[in-house]
This record gives sequence, structure tokens and C-alpha cells, in this order.
Amino acid sequence: MNLPVPAAGNSRVRSSFTRIYVYGLVLLFILSWGYVLFGGDSGLASLTSGKTWSNAGGFLRELAGIGSGATPAYLQMDQWVEKGKLAYHTLAMSVLAMIFAVAGVALTFLPAARNMGNGELGGTPSRLWTVLYYLVRGTFILTRAIPELVWALIIIFFLSPGILPGALALGLHNYGVLGKLSAEVVENLDPRPTRALRAAGSSNFQMLFYGIIPQALPQFLTYMLYRWEVVIRTTVVVGFVSAGGLGREFRLSLSFFHYSEVALIIFWYLLLVVAVDLLSAWLRRLARFD
Amino acid sequence: MNTAAANPAHLVAATGISKSYSQVQALAPLDLTIHAGELVALAGPSGSGKTTLLYILGGVVQPDEGEIVIDGRPLRRMRPGKDLAALVGLVHQNYDLVPQLPVIQNVLAGMLGQWGLLRSAISLLWPRDRQRAEKVLAELGLADKVLERTSHLSGGEQQRVAIARLMVQSPRIVLADEPVSSLDPVLSEEILRLLTGIADSPGRTLVASLHSPNLIRRYFTRVIGLREGVLQFDMPSSGLTDDVLAQLYELNHRGELDRPGTGEAAAEVS
Amino acid sequence: MASLIALEPGRRPLKFLENRHLLTLLLVGALVWSLAVVDWRGPLVHSGGGAAASDFLQALFPPELSTDFLRLCLVASWQTVSYAVAAITVAVAIGFPLGVIASGTAYTQGNLRVPAIVRLCLAGMRSIHELVWAVLFVSAVGLSPLAAILAIALPYGGILGRIYADLINDVPDPPLQALRASGASPMRVLLYGRLPMALPELVSYTFYRFECAIRAAAIMSFVGIRGLGYEIQLSLNDLLFSQVWTLMLFMVALVMVVDMWSSRLRRSLVS
Repeated sequence: MNLPVPAAGNSRVRSSFTRIYVYGLVLLFILSWGYVLFGGDSGLASLTSGKTWSNAGGFLRELAGIGSGATPAYLQMDQWVEKGKLAYHTLAMSVLAMIFAVAGVALTFLPAARNMGNGELGGTPSRLWTVLYYLVRGTFILTRAIPELVWALIIIFFLSPGILPGALALGLHNYGVLGKLSAEVVENLDPRPTRALRAAGSSNFQMLFYGIIPQALPQFLTYMLYRWEVVIRTTVVVGFVSAGGLGREFRLSLSFFHYSEVALIIFWYLLLVVAVDLLSAWLRRLARFD
Repeated sequence: MNTAAANPAHLVAATGISKSYSQVQALAPLDLTIHAGELVALAGPSGSGKTTLLYILGGVVQPDEGEIVIDGRPLRRMRPGKDLAALVGLVHQNYDLVPQLPVIQNVLAGMLGQWGLLRSAISLLWPRDRQRAEKVLAELGLADKVLERTSHLSGGEQQRVAIARLMVQSPRIVLADEPVSSLDPVLSEEILRLLTGIADSPGRTLVASLHSPNLIRRYFTRVIGLREGVLQFDMPSSGLTDDVLAQLYELNHRGELDRPGTGEAAAEVS
Repeated sequence: MASLIALEPGRRPLKFLENRHLLTLLLVGALVWSLAVVDWRGPLVHSGGGAAASDFLQALFPPELSTDFLRLCLVASWQTVSYAVAAITVAVAIGFPLGVIASGTAYTQGNLRVPAIVRLCLAGMRSIHELVWAVLFVSAVGLSPLAAILAIALPYGGILGRIYADLINDVPDPPLQALRASGASPMRVLLYGRLPMALPELVSYTFYRFECAIRAAAIMSFVGIRGLGYEIQLSLNDLLFSQVWTLMLFMVALVMVVDMWSSRLRRSLVS
């Protein structure tokens, strides 16, 4: 019987390469777990002790607002309104972050596509495109490799706390992520329509408007909306340091042991996440133009 | 023949053009002149170098050797895009339209060589020269598809949109790569009528690759046979017999014995 | 009456809001709204913020390159990588079985409710960010590397499970039909058909998530876990920007290595 298993490497060289990568992974796995468990206090002892778990039970009870004596936050209307306002700010922060990221990508995605610079799409190849390619790709990698939270830690050195620095930090990281994805969309485009445009006498810019953008836009929008779903989850975390939205309140409530408020904040947070997921799914359906 | 380059009567004059792709010779050194008013068919099995020759004539692919003079000007000295688009237009086998755009935008893309950046950007939102595009589309029987999304059209309709783009671009030399290979007979005739119609006015020409001897005889004045990149014959299309063509397409040159009935026909030709 | 309602023949009803117009409208609306929510009146930049920004950028030329510091960077990178590896293995251990169940391909006429419930669990796990999990864990069970690893593994298990389920479902059907025709049980179709065919995609997505896990492990510094993020925070507190740059470049290098590793492995799996 013919089983559709993946074909083994067709040359000895290739399969030995594969073996190196696979053995490398196994080695990395062993060393990492070795380091985590025996390189210092892993926390295994405390995680397996009964006292830790009774503490955890106490924490959960306090989240639920049981036994602390005071009225739990979810029974106070003004708490609901206050946290709701923060959720509104958090949503705005995520949208603003997406706008920063998308604006940046819109300005720079083109030279980051290799088939633009080498003339595969029908454009005129030039040294300048090649230089720009490496420049923009380098920026993508740098902004993508640094997590949003670290960007936020850096940005609050310059900007006043609020929505803006958080949105900027989120935007910076997602600029790198979306930039890479968008460049790949262009690299995977069918080159024939743009080449035909070229033959009909279009310049590089005309090719962008008539060939590349119409073909790539649905995919761009889909990626953007998927990314928004990630961003809304991260917005809270960036808020820890940039002092905007639910994140800051979450941190404050935790350090003041106002645990029932923490529960309320998490509730609003989940509400935001679900709302954005649904909204994004709906918009993605709209973005499929045909 | 080789000195023909400067002769203004020759719309296209190619001398010694050749092309190889990673050691495979796609086109052996070839001399070719085409006069205005000629309708040239390229025949030959796939891989014979027809497409390469068309792409070289269209300035899409650069030849390894040799020179091409179009309307008295060397091709390599023309700016790609603008200059060339007024002289040479190319229709591909698979139409190569932008599927997401409305039909009218794909047709107006034929104007991009003449339009500046601002004008073409505005036209994406509010189409310029709309009447011109609509007139051409009406001639092709697509009057009701002007604002339709191009990907919603059938294959034959898309082929006609590609021809509409070419009519708007209105180049003097029309190059068509297998324009009818995937169409039914009725549609094939219609497309060829349209293509030869574009090349009908004075000072123009059509070069197209296709396989059917009937269509070649009916719509073209001259036929060029290519095989493995080498010129096999170049004759008036009226002289083309089914047998000459069959020989061109035969898997190898082992002769007529393999196929019954060819001996007679071959004798007729000679 | 009917003639009043009936449309003229050959004329389609006008669509006032085509999808793309609606989408454009919504996106422009979002832009305006989010800009309006920002409080533009207050000072946007700190006093001295501009100077700090230029200090920060200048510190890149050159970054801190002393041997001692580079050694510290290497140790920090290793810490981050090892936590990331540990986290991703737990995430795969959670996500793979749940993903297989959620795909609903493991048994024939099984209860359709089970995959749906598992999908819901996966959605719940991934809707909370790893650092939020971590902060909650620290409050509940105290600070420890294993708590941080678990905090990463929970949402990552949720994401991996969902993507695994989709990839296993999206395998093209014709080769599987051959297997089914030969009388193979759904479990066998899964083991010999779906999983091997989806393998390259499964591996490359896991690698992508590993790259993300490196970032996640780095920001666990926020709850006091050592690693690249921790060192970045220390250097930032001391305003040693050139050290911050060196550490960031180490992060970049890690991401590039993982990228390369993933694409090589993927290429050899596909061919």
C-alpha cells in the first residue's frame, strides 16, 4: 500500500543536515530542562508543597471577594463604570497601536520585498532598491525581536505616561511583525500581472497602485486584523509600565491587595478580548472582497 | 539581410539574437525582419523558443547576443515602459490581468504609459478617459461588464479584456503568446479576428504563436517554424501544409515511416 | 401591488454600502476615534525627553562590547532560551493532544461536543496574556522559574492547540481517501495520513511560537525572572543605554538564529 509519508531527504547531504538540526533540538531540550530544574531554585519544591496550594486557594477566594469583609468590587456600580472607562482607553490604545504599525508598514513594505528590487515583478532593478531592502529588513528584525514591554520601558523615558507611549511601543513591535508578513505577501504575488502592466508602459509607482496593492490588499488586511487580536491581549501588559488603560489599574490593585478589583479588571479584559476577536472575524469576512 | 537594420521599411529587424537559460539554449542565433502590415505566426512544439522570441521582441527578456532595431531605433536604447509601450504590446497566454480590479481599470492600464503618476492615481478612484475604455469594451461585447470585478469574468471574457487593454494601449507591434491555446474554436476565431484587426491599420504588425494550421492559413500572411530554438522554416502561410507542420511537431526527426500516409502529402509539398 | 414592489427587469438593486466601502468607513472611523481619545493637551514629551531620546540613539555607536559584559549577555541569553525551550515543550505537551482532540479527526462518529468543548478551553487559555498569567501565579503560588514557565505554557498551549487542530483539519482529502478505502480506522488515517502530511506546517508553526516564547521568557523579568529582559531592566534603571543596545542586539541574534533554524528544518522536511 502506498502511504503518503513525507519523502526522506533525497540526498545523503540533506538527510545528514536534517539529523544535525534534529539532534541539536534534542540537545537543546535536555540542556534547557537540566538548567531549569538543577541550575538554581526551580520552584519545584514550593510548587509541590501543600502550603503553597492553600495560599493559592486563599488567593482565589479573595479574587472572588469571599471572606475579606469589604463589599466586593463587582457589587459596586461605580467600580464597573470606572473599570469600563479604562477598558475603553485600552481599546483605543490597541487601535492607535495598529494605526502606528500599519502606517509605518505602508511606507516601507515595498523595498522589503525581494522581487521588487531584483526586477522579478517587472520593475527596474537598481542598487538603491538593494540598499533599501537590507535597511528595511534590518529595521523589521530589530523592532520585531524586541518585545512590546521592553519598547515600552524604553519609551517612557521620553514620553509622558498615558495611552500614547504604550501605543507607540505596541506599534513598534508590530511594525516589525506586520512588515515581515507584508513583504512576504508581495514576494509571493503572481508576477505576471505586474509584468504585463510593465509591458503596457507603467512606471514603478503606477505598478504599485494598479498591480501590487490591489492584489495584496486583502491579505494585508487579514494579517492586520489577526494582529489586532494579539495586540488587544498585549495592551494590558504594556499598560503595566506605560500607565495607560486597564494595565496600570491591574498592577495597582494587585499591589494594594484589592483582589476583587483585580477580578473585575480581568473580567473587562476578557470582554475586550472576546469583543475584538468577534469584530476582527467579522471584518476579515468583509475584507474578503469577492 | 544583416544590413537591413537601418532600412525604415522594416518595422522589426533582429540580427543574431540568441538566448540561453542556464546552459539550455532557448534560442539559437537568429536573424529576422518583419515589415509593417505583415501578420506573422510562430509555430513549433512547446520549448521551441517561441515565447522566448516574443519576450525578446517585446523587450521583456534581454537577448544574450545580437541586436534588435524597431522602427529604426535600437531596442536596448529605449526606456523600458514609456517609450516601448507605444511601439510594442504583449498579450500573454493567461491574460495576466489584475484579478481584483474592475474591468475598466484593467483596460485603462493600457494608458499608463501615457499617464503621469497623479493622473493614474486619480483614475483608480475616478476613471479617466472612461469613454475610450467603454467604447473599446462595447466593441468587444463587454459593455455590461465595465465595472465588474475582473476575476468574476469567464476565461474568454478575460481574454477579451486583455485585448481591450491592448487596443487602448494601441502599439504598432502586437505580440501575442498563444492567444487561443485554451479557447474553443468559435472563440479562437473571434480573438484572432480582433488581434488581426488591431494590426490592420497601416504601419502595424502582429506576431503571434499558435498551433492550428487552419487558423494560421486563414489569419496570417507568414509563418515561421521553430524547433529547439532553431529556425526550421519561414514561408508565406499559404504554403503551409498540415504535413510540414506535423513534421515540425514530431517528437524526433526519425522520418515519415512511423506515420502512415505522410509520404504522399510530403511529395505534394515538394 | 406586486408590480410596485417588483424591481425593473435587468436592473439590480443599488447596494449603498458595498463591503469594501463599509470596511473603509470603519477603518477611517477607528483612526479618527483613537486619535480623539488621546489627551493631546498635556505635554506629550517629558522635560528632557528629547535629550534622553538622542542619548539613547547615540548609545548605539558603539554599544557596550567589553568582554565581561558580553559574557553576562551570553549567560542571560542562555537563561532566556532555556526558559523558552522549557515553556514551549510544556506548551506542545498541552497543545498537541488537545489540538488532536479539537480537530475531531481521531474517531469517526464521536461526540461532536467534545471537540467543541476542547476548543473553548483552548480559547480560554489563550485569551489571557502570558505576563498576566505570570503576575497572577506570582500572587497565588509565589515567584519561581517553573511558575513563569507554566505562565508561558498555558496561553501558548492554547494557541498551539488551536493552530494544530486547524492544520490537521486542512490536510487535502484525496490521499486520505485512499487510506480510508483500504479500511484504515480514523486513528490510523490520523497517524499515517494527516499527521505526516501536516508535519512541515506543524513544525514551522511551533518554531514560530518558539521565537515568540523567547520574547515571552525575556519579559518574565517583570516578575523577577533572570534573563535578557532582566538585564535590560537593570541597565535601563542605571541609564546605561549602550548596555541596553548590546542586550537588544543579542535578542535580535537569537530571533535570527531561530528563524534560520526553522527555515532549514522546514525545507528538509518538505523535500
